[in-house]
Order: sequence, then structure tokens, then C-alpha cells
Amino acid sequence: MSEVTRQEIMAVAAAREIQDGEAAFIGTGLPMVAAYLAKFTHAPSAVLVFESGIVDARPRELATGVGDFRLLHGCVKATGLYYALSLLQGGFIDIGFMGGAEVDEYGNLNSTAIGGYARPTVRLPGSGGANDIGSLAGRIVIMMPHEQRRLVPRVQYLTTPGFLDGPGGRERAGLRGEGPTRVITDLAVLDFEPRSKRMRLLTVHPGVTPEEVQARTGFPLLLAERVGETPIPSAEQVAVLRGRVDPEGIYIGKKG
Amino acid sequence: MSDAKILSLREAVASVPDGANMTFGGFAAYFTPMAFVREMLRQGKRDLEMTSVAECWVADHLAGAGRLRRARFSNFMFEGMGRCYNFSRGVERGEIAVEDYSHFAITSRLVAAGLGIPFLPIKPMAGTDLMQTRGFEAEKARPFACPFTGEPVLLVPAARPDVAVIHAARADRDGNTQLFGNTCVIDEQARAAARVIVTVEEIVADGVIRQQPELTVLPGFLVDAVVEVPFGAHPTGMYRYYDPDFAFLTDYYAASRDEAAFRRYLDDYVFGVPDPWAYLQKIGIRRLMALRADPGLGLARIHARTLA
Repeated sequence: MSEVTRQEIMAVAAAREIQDGEAAFIGTGLPMVAAYLAKFTHAPSAVLVFESGIVDARPRELATGVGDFRLLHGCVKATGLYYALSLLQGGFIDIGFMGGAEVDEYGNLNSTAIGGYARPTVRLPGSGGANDIGSLAGRIVIMMPHEQRRLVPRVQYLTTPGFLDGPGGRERAGLRGEGPTRVITDLAVLDFEPRSKRMRLLTVHPGVTPEEVQARTGFPLLLAERVGETPIPSAEQVAVLRGRVDPEGIYIGKKG
Repeated sequence: MSDAKILSLREAVASVPDGANMTFGGFAAYFTPMAFVREMLRQGKRDLEMTSVAECWVADHLAGAGRLRRARFSNFMFEGMGRCYNFSRGVERGEIAVEDYSHFAITSRLVAAGLGIPFLPIKPMAGTDLMQTRGFEAEKARPFACPFTGEPVLLVPAARPDVAVIHAARADRDGNTQLFGNTCVIDEQARAAARVIVTVEEIVADGVIRQQPELTVLPGFLVDAVVEVPFGAHPTGMYRYYDPDFAFLTDYYAASRDEAAFRRYLDDYVFGVPDPWAYLQKIGIRRLMALRADPGLGLARIHARTLA
């Protein structure tokens, strides 16, 4: 077995967040890889819901998008976007995954604009279902590349709520769910310290130091009592990732 | 029964006034009324407004041709590729005014209109810039305490587009419309809009729709016009008819990064072809046949490695 990629470590860390039997709201890319891996290993009864209106998709081939016909073929219910998102507001979704251009220390995300709103420097795609997932899912897992320009003290536009302005922020706004419970990057796994709701370093991936993680983060990180090492994927997990989930290495990286 | 609702594509597009507030069916690379959009560009429709969820291919075409004035929407992104360059450029230059929503919030505005009520309470968007940073909308949403429990909610006003344009699988001459697969936002858009134009892969004989009523997305009395346009969603896909043309989409996306290249795309595939038949001829029969869905899978074999 060739050396595991950081993307494989990320996929396995994300898959671990999905418990068997849970309903998960899934996007494209690594979250989809993680969800398939979970279904193929420890969580065969997990239910995958996509905002396009595809409910309980059967993971066969990786899809290029959340409306891909490969998800539609063999799913349990083909419905509309409003139904799929109503499942979030109705409290039926246990866990959701998302990324963004920027995240702050309270787990708030920007996927709307850089450099002003009405006339931005860079106009990004916009919320889509992200704000709905962040406002309403039971738990949120954030996945993104670990770069100082992405992990910032303050997001330039707050598209998707983490803990908003800190402890009690979600409750004051009337939001549901626990909020973000994990941040998974190509360097580390982080969570949010329960009292301050500030981002906290839990584990670093093999070969990465906590100092390096801090250096590539735009705000001071809290540290877990003992910062450990992110578990490396098991032989079975790697075999499933490379053999069944992403045989072309589109999202988990090319192996040498 | 009469054929009064059946229009040519040219007639249907001509019925849309400049400045119209429009909503389009489809989601990402699927079910999008692209033949209608190309004809809109040919007819010079301009100063348009979109009330949108995820109609990225429509928004990027209208923006790239300089026809989009403003958009209330939740997400314009080419999945697997990235942001919409034409649309983004228009916003960055101040040529397109925007008002951002979450998917659920903008859809709830359409639902309220379809229900005939002035607003709906929703939970998302609270506490974020989707609420606090405003675009062009006079009033976007209002925080409110539930009169029964005191629970905080947001009230969003009904949104009534002038025209909804939906591409579906098949319809009969009364406008009874069916779709295979996920139904996107079709029901909510059609019930909210003042006028509903449906383009379809095929117009079917009287009685066909009644054989499988469970497939109906729009009963005919909600539909004002029906247009038959085979492959009318190309380059996006229609479940059980044809897959998205990913090679075409990739070429389009590359062209959209550069204004001169996008101009050439428009000249080649929009302004340079007089009608949908000429467009399909330009795409070529070999390519279209390769995209055709396998009846058992609902998608094309070339894109299905292991599903069979």
C-alpha cells in the first residue's frame, strides 16, 4: 500500500463523524467521498440526502454534483429541493457537511463575496443550502484547505452560521442544532471548545506539528489538553477508498 | 381540448417582455430550459431580473450577454468547476445588482406566493449577513417572535415572478406536464409566477398523462403555454432522455473565463444558429446519440461505469 494522501486522511476523519443510521446532508467532493466510505464500512444504514431532492441515494459511482443522475438512479425518493430542505428545518437531519472560502474562530463561513457585498472584488457562488444546513442540521462538519487566508479572524461576509458571535449566539438567533462540531483540514482536526465556542486543535495529521497548524491559521487556536495525531486510515478504509469510492483518485489524490 | 396553448419557441419567447422578473426550472446541470434561454438572447430580451435558486446556466448566459439587471437568488455555481465567471464579473463591475438568500429562504418566498399568503415564517438566515447585509430589496425578511410560543423566526414576503419557464419531459396539448426524476423547484416556481411557459422534450397524445398521473408535476390549468423542443435542456441533462454534455460544459466553462472567448461561444452557439434545429445540427447527431439515456438506467451508458 502506497503512502496515504492527506485527502484520504480527511475523508476518513469525516466519515468517522457519520454514525450508523444517521441522516446526513451531503455535498459534492470530499464530503461525498466520506459519506460513501461511511456507508461502505461502519455506517451502512446512514441515509444520504441531497439538496437537489434526492433522498437516500445508493452509493455506487461518485457523482459530479448533488443532482447527478447517478444519485437519482436507485435512490429511495426523488422529490424537490423544498422537500429536501424542509427535512433540515423539520429536524430530520443529524449531520451536514460544508466548506467555504473563509471560516472564523467561531466556525462562521463565507461563501458569498470577498471585498464588499454590492460590488465585491470576488463574487463567490452564494449560500445555496449552506446557510440552511448550518442553521438547522444537528451537527456540522466543516472541511477546507488549511490556509491563513481561509482561517481568518473575521469572515468578510457571514454566509453560514457557526456560533455567530460566540456562546449563546445560535440560541439568540433561534437556530437549531449543536452548530459546528468538527473542522477537518489537510493539516488537522479541530473542534470548538464547549464554553467559549472557539476553535480548538484536537489532532494533527502525521508529519504535521501544532506550530505549523497555528502558523497557517489567522487567529490564535485553543489547544486540546493533549494534542494527538489524527489516526491514519486502516488498510480496509484505504482499500475501500481507492477500490470502490474514488478509483480515479479525483478527490483523494493520485497515488504514486 | 384545443391546441391553443401550443406555441412555437419563437412565439413563446416573444411573449416575454423586456424587464421581466423571471424564474427558470432546473438545478445545476440538469433540467434547465436552455433552448428557451438561447432564443431569448437571439430576440434581444434585456433588462431582465431573476428570482432564482440554482439556475447557474441561465444566469451565466444572461449575464455574459449583458441582459441581466438584477438577481435575487441563493447559489450560482457550476458544480465540480466553480463560480460562474460571467455572472461574477457582472456583479464585480456593479452591472448586476444582487440580493442573496439561502435555498430554503428564496424557495419559501415562492411557496408563500403559491399559497396565496403574504409571507412565511422560516428558521434559517437569522443572525447572518444574509439578513444583515442588504442588496436591492426594499424589505427582505423581518425577525419576528412566534405569537404562540415566542420562538424567534424570520418572516419572508411572498415573491411573484412575472414568468416561470420550465423544461420538462413531456406534456399534452392542455399543458399537463410530467417529469422523470427529482423535481427541483418546478412546483413552487410555477405556482408563484403570473405566467407559466413549459418547454418539453415531447408533446404527447391526449390521455397519455392520465395513464401515469403520479409523474405529473404541473396540471395543465396552471400552464399557459407549451413548446416542444427536443434536447431543449442541452447542454444540461434530462433524466431518462439524455445526460448533461460534460465535455460541452467544460468547454463552455473555459470560454466563460475570458470575455472574448465567451463572445465567440455566443456567436457560435447562440447568435450563429437561427433556431433549435440548427443548434442540434451544430452539436451533431453522433454526440447527441452518445448522450441518450439507457432506458433501464435513466442515464447514458458512457457515464455509467458500474450501475447496470
